[in-house]
Amino acid sequence: MTLLQSFKNAVRQRSIHVCYVDTGSCNGCDIEVLACLSPRYDLEQYGIYVHNNPREADVLLVIGGVTPQWEDKLKMVWDKMPEPKVAVAIGNCPISGCVYNRPDSLTRPPAKSYIPIAAEVPGCPPRPTEIIQAILSVAPLIFKDWEIRR
Amino acid sequence: MASVEWIKTFFFAKTAPLITPSHFREFPHVTDKECTHCFQCMMICPAPGAIEVIRTEKPGEWKPVIHLGHCIRCGLCVEICPELVLDSGRVHTKNAQDGTYMQFQFHITVNPVICMGCGICSVACPVNKEIDPQLAAKGTSTSDEVIMRVYKGINTVFHEEKCTGCKTCEEQCPNRSVMVARVLEPLQITEEP
Ligand code: SF4
Ligand code: SF4
Ligand code: SF4
Ligand code: SF4
Repeated sequence: MTLLQSFKNAVRQRSIHVCYVDTGSCNGCDIEVLACLSPRYDLEQYGIYVHNNPREADVLLVIGGVTPQWEDKLKMVWDKMPEPKVAVAIGNCPISGCVYNRPDSLTRPPAKSYIPIAAEVPGCPPRPTEIIQAILSVAPLIFKDWEIRR
Repeated sequence: MASVEWIKTFFFAKTAPLITPSHFREFPHVTDKECTHCFQCMMICPAPGAIEVIRTEKPGEWKPVIHLGHCIRCGLCVEICPELVLDSGRVHTKNAQDGTYMQFQFHITVNPVICMGCGICSVACPVNKEIDPQLAAKGTSTSDEVIMRVYKGINTVFHEEKCTGCKTCEEQCPNRSVMVARVLEPLQITEEP
């Protein structure tokens, strides 16, 4: 591994840009993602920054049970993200539809049938610590030595 | 030297590691108490597909299995289990302290406007089948001991309290006329003065 590569790895570990997309959640998980930004959890001390722009994001947080309106649009958001990228499903909804997964309901889970999901954080909603842990554990795996593996 | 300390703090200071306290209600875990497969935990669970009571490899042994990604950590299964097979956070400790417990029953409603009196629900009900063998054989029942049966051309509920909440009737009804609602009641043991 070159010196440049190890420098890139070190910098990338502390510069993870997150975009979140709500595909029809009850707002519970959104509030927990918001709580990650609070001084109590302080996302930015780990070098994680939240913008809502897929074009500058490394990590996509998918929240919500994927309503019919989102079936094609989720892929559009994912395609806008530059490589290397990773998607993390936050909460039960993108995994299974949670309590909304009933006959005739307007959810089309799981999210992984539309885009590749690298990690899933179960919970309704998951705790901020669980969300931070998931991002921190999955992002370096994807971004480490990206130029070499590509 | 002070400036070195300052630089270190400036760049590397972190808030204390965040650990989930043990009294938080986590996903229920299975203890080694014996499960009697009464299925109360499955009936009370509000999330579809979150808990299943299944047979293990050992003959005659049953165990509940919690499915992550479905379970919402409500803790109702922990509270309702009569054998305390499941555990999570301090649910049991608090219940023992305050003398609180949970009870549930089922309320069956039949919509008389759309019920056509076909009786599919009454012959599908597993409790009905046990009470009256006539119903188990898809026959006509005249028993008053059954949960419900077609009486005067309409499905009539006789013994709501015998319902175990499996919702087989709801699934089988072609008109979606019968509905089973779970009624939860949190109770507290009060000491008589
Ligand atoms: S875990 Fe408890 S409530 Fe569930 S089937 Fe076993 S004994 Fe019954
Ligand atoms: S904690 Fe609640 S959602 Fe999870 S299995 Fe038990 S009853 Fe179902
Ligand atoms: S819910 Fe199950 S036990 Fe209750 S009436 Fe319907 S079929 Fe019978
Ligand atoms: S409630 Fe439904 S299944 Fe039962 S008798 Fe009426 S129409 Fe038939």
